[in-house]
Amino acid sequence: MQWLPEYRDDVPRVERFTWLARFTHWGHTVTFLLCLFTGLILFLDGVNWLAAIFGGYYGAGWVHRISALAMTALIGFGFVFGFKGVLVWIVDLLRFGFNDLKFLVLFPLEFFGFKVKVPPQTRFNGGEKGNSMITPFMVFLLMISGYIMWFPSYFPASWVRVAYPTHDIAMILSTVMVCMHGYLGSFHPGSGESFWGMWKGTVREDWAKHHHAVWYEETYGSMAGEKPKTILGLPVFEEYKSKPKDAE
Amino acid sequence: MANMTNLYDSSICTACRACQVACKNWNQLPASIKPFKGNYQTHEDTDGDTYTIVLMNEVDNAAHGVDWNFAKFQCMHCFDAACMKVCPKGAYTKTEWGATIHDPDKCIGCQYCTYACPFGVPKHRKREDKIAKCTLCADRVTEGLAPACATTCAPGALRFGDRDELIEYARERVKSLQANGYPNATIYGINELGGLNKLYILTDTPDKFGLPVNPQTYGTINFWQNWVQPYFGWLIPVALGASAVSFVTTRLMADKHQDHPVEGGHE
Ligand code: HEM
Ligand code: HEM
Ligand code: SF4
Ligand code: SF4
Ligand code: SF4
Repeated sequence: MQWLPEYRDDVPRVERFTWLARFTHWGHTVTFLLCLFTGLILFLDGVNWLAAIFGGYYGAGWVHRISALAMTALIGFGFVFGFKGVLVWIVDLLRFGFNDLKFLVLFPLEFFGFKVKVPPQTRFNGGEKGNSMITPFMVFLLMISGYIMWFPSYFPASWVRVAYPTHDIAMILSTVMVCMHGYLGSFHPGSGESFWGMWKGTVREDWAKHHHAVWYEETYGSMAGEKPKTILGLPVFEEYKSKPKDAE
Repeated sequence: MANMTNLYDSSICTACRACQVACKNWNQLPASIKPFKGNYQTHEDTDGDTYTIVLMNEVDNAAHGVDWNFAKFQCMHCFDAACMKVCPKGAYTKTEWGATIHDPDKCIGCQYCTYACPFGVPKHRKREDKIAKCTLCADRVTEGLAPACATTCAPGALRFGDRDELIEYARERVKSLQANGYPNATIYGINELGGLNKLYILTDTPDKFGLPVNPQTYGTINFWQNWVQPYFGWLIPVALGASAVSFVTTRLMADKHQDHPVEGGHE
């Protein structure tokens, strides 16, 4: 049985994520998971064996706080130094259109391995667009509510009482997304190749053509030379209408 | 065992604050010195080293000018204690006679209880990073003694004993107060929050004593504890389970289409 798709350097590959994006992504992944496991100790009402892994309850509390600070710093770092990349990302999310809706409808079938015909997708497909909106928003809520819980005496008491359920709900929704996301971005046979995009920076060219046809054509394919309409150097919102010339 | 309660009578209390001192003494708590504010209220609230204070409320009263309303404030030992519900470490327990006890060895200082308590009683003791609050002198009561504050109270404004008997006594007392110029006299603690293991005889309505009139557990805390904690979390195993199922089904289906090996997914 195969876990990850094999990394092939004997086939043409195209760049997908910059060094900065990959560094930030894996940095916040590690710190998020540390926060998650140390936080679950309290959410599950005192799981002693899990606490013991982090040196007891006080140890776990400090791992939670230090990871939280590191995660905040990493996200801030990625945001500042990769600001243009973040804007390009947001612009791609704004291209959410009919093809993305179709993707979302067909996604459950593809998720379990049925063969479906998905319309061409932009840089991020409909599911990734959803993930890109929900997960970062939940992490943002976790950060705001988390700092309120850490320093309750600096905030109005009613905010502290709202922060508790907010922290838990945001934890649950982001973790649900991350479970599916982590699996899709690694062991899922269809989309697993994207793991190498996040790990090494490149994905197989034929995979890119299949899975992100619009992105591929605009960046590396037949439309690569064409200057996209831009404002301030960024591609502008434009719903993808016609199929690129040589996508199948 | 019957509930053992500390009854406080505001019509007898002289605000000498001997109870504050006795509490410090018995529990070996250091002084907590606050800046002088120009009034008698030396401490505005309980703190990590102060389990009880006497609230001094100056209230205008049409009948007798100004009332000086005293109320000894400390943990109310609620029967349905919110502190106990939120504590992720189970640091709170109820004694069989009704005291809410906090175990500092279990406490991790998260302060959930501070914000969940409808009276804001549990306070963070910074030097230990733990919560501290009134124990109803459980260590004394189990030895057959009354709480330190009740023992020391010279005028007898604090009485410790069987809760039902004290309620009987308080009813009589309130009747006589009502007949003697305190028409609003009332008992606090019988039904509040489903019953407090702490009773007050008040010469006026609770709001005139700085006590919440109809205390309720906060809605956000109820939502958190009754809905989010027990149910919402199940979404996570559902997501994990779906991924595990997909791990198997994607591979089984890829095997069926041998012409198109592992690389499943859409065309
Ligand atoms: C900036 C980010 C964060 C900060 C400042 C923060 C802070 C805190 C604090 C202060 C607590 C109280 C518990 C204690 O005193 O140890 C807490 C609890 C918790 N945190 Fe975080 N946190 C952050 C991010 C996260 C993340 C990313 C997760 C998981 C995905 C998470 C999950 C939890 C959970 C499950 C609890 C327990 C809540 C409960 O008892 O029901 N936190 N957090
Ligand atoms: C658990 C292990 C994880 C793995 C294996 C993983 C893998 C990946 C991969 C391969 C991509 C690129 C997808 C593409 O080609 O477009 C990606 C993107 C992304 N990751 Fe992760 N990731 C993990 C954890 C996380 C965590 C913990 C977060 C945030 C809390 C996160 C947030 C994101 C976001 C927002 C994106 C961009 C949107 C998307 O492609 O869905 N990831 N991840
Ligand atoms: S008054 Fe507050 S600390 Fe005391 S038992 Fe009630 S909820 Fe707990
Ligand atoms: S501060 Fe201590 S007693 Fe209060 S909820 Fe947290 S662990 Fe429990
Ligand atoms: S019962 Fe004991 S701990 Fe509570 S206020 Fe009185 S003396 Fe202090």
